[in-house]
Amino acid sequence: MSETKRILVCDDSETVTTVLVTALELEGYEVATAVNGIEAYEMGATGNYDLVILDQLMPGLLGLEIIDRWHHEGHDIRTIMLSGVDDERTVVSSLESGAVDFVRKPFRLPELLARIRQRLNA
Amino acid sequence: MNATTIGFIAVGVVLFVDFALLLGLVALKTVHRRRAERHRLRRARYVATLSRHLASSTHIEPIDGGAADDDAFLDAVIDLRNVVTGHDVETLTGIVDSLGLARIQEARLRSRFPLGRRLRAAVSMAEIGDESTARVLIEYLSDPEPEIRIQCARGLGRMQHTAAIDAILERFGLEEPWVRARFADTLVGFGAKATWPLVAYIRVNLSHDENESVIEAIRVLGTIGDREVGPTLSGVLRVASDPEVQLATIEALGAVGGPLAIPPLKHTFRSADWRLRAKSAASLGHIGDPSINLVLSSGLVDSNWWVRRNSAAALASLPGGSGLLLDTLESEDPFARDAATEALADCGALAAAREREDAGVATADDRRLLDHVGAEETVLA
Repeated sequence: MSETKRILVCDDSETVTTVLVTALELEGYEVATAVNGIEAYEMGATGNYDLVILDQLMPGLLGLEIIDRWHHEGHDIRTIMLSGVDDERTVVSSLESGAVDFVRKPFRLPELLARIRQRLNA
Repeated sequence: MNATTIGFIAVGVVLFVDFALLLGLVALKTVHRRRAERHRLRRARYVATLSRHLASSTHIEPIDGGAADDDAFLDAVIDLRNVVTGHDVETLTGIVDSLGLARIQEARLRSRFPLGRRLRAAVSMAEIGDESTARVLIEYLSDPEPEIRIQCARGLGRMQHTAAIDAILERFGLEEPWVRARFADTLVGFGAKATWPLVAYIRVNLSHDENESVIEAIRVLGTIGDREVGPTLSGVLRVASDPEVQLATIEALGAVGGPLAIPPLKHTFRSADWRLRAKSAASLGHIGDPSINLVLSSGLVDSNWWVRRNSAAALASLPGGSGLLLDTLESEDPFARDAATEALADCGALAAAREREDAGVATADDRRLLDHVGAEETVLA
């Protein structure tokens, strides 16, 4: 029997976290949440998660800064960046920093879930 | 009863009343906080329920029938519509329709009071309304309450209900400036679809005395930026005698751009009114066509400082314009030299020349500029 995958959802919007947590739990994942950059960085750095969904604009630390910190500290964390800022520079910077995917807000929930499944199975 | 006793009683009464008021205030705040917290929890529950509907097409969990009357449900729907897109929005619209949410909001909007409830209904309809609610929103564009009119216009803009453009424009001249400005934002949101109704509005309403709404309409045209309106704006410039209309039109021509915008701007660049010349220089620079470089360089010797400044700034932004500014450094006109130097500094040419000099790769033009600035600094010292 395969082990339940653990996902960390980091977003300061209560609506976004509720949507994602509800949908991901329905898919059978174990989900935790972080509501600011510092919390996201610390929880992600524990290495307890198979995938992190990370908002770019959060109080405390930006998503890109968090990925950079994890990278410099040697953490290999699969991250899907989620952002309402969809300019080319943000997308490119996210992917170059090590994010495995970039999803723009507002998002299509079934599409986001498919990307999450794909990244977890990769 | 002596005066001291009366004094003590008065102080006691005042303290008692203060204490009672404080207690009342604390109680009110507590009740409000609890209500807000209950609202937040209900909203979160509704978001979760709706999310299950979005996540799984086979999900058939019923939504509580009382939800349609609950403001927390409305907030949940509005929040979710800002988070998801595509088919998810259609799913939400289907749920909203099945619960008759729009009809309930319409009934609230139609009620005479309380105002807060009506306003909330207008905001909700602006957020969740569709073509079926457009008729109501158009009707309430003439509501006595300005914020309701603004929300109705916003809702019509959000759903891109083209038929509402004329209805919004009908109100344009009747509104207070701050309401008109919000209507203008809505019209900008319609994009090119609003171009010709705006043109018609300007043609009909352009007069010689009261032009505030026409000026706003011209600004909207400039912001939309549809190049098709170049000839219309040229026509406005020909017939308008109000300088404010002329200034707004010149600015709009600069924003719209294109070859059709250049001839009327070249004409106003020779106007007797320095404000029109200065605005024309800025607009010509905005268009960015280097064919007008020589026209703009004539502005460097204008009698007015703003015209010289705007002409120099425009030249600095145009291909080949920097060369003309460098040539102006040799001019005998000290005001023209100042304008050119300022523009070259503002556009970063001076800083770049200094960097190249420090790196030992300065060009002949860099030296011309640096020598001129050095000489000016010596004179000032």
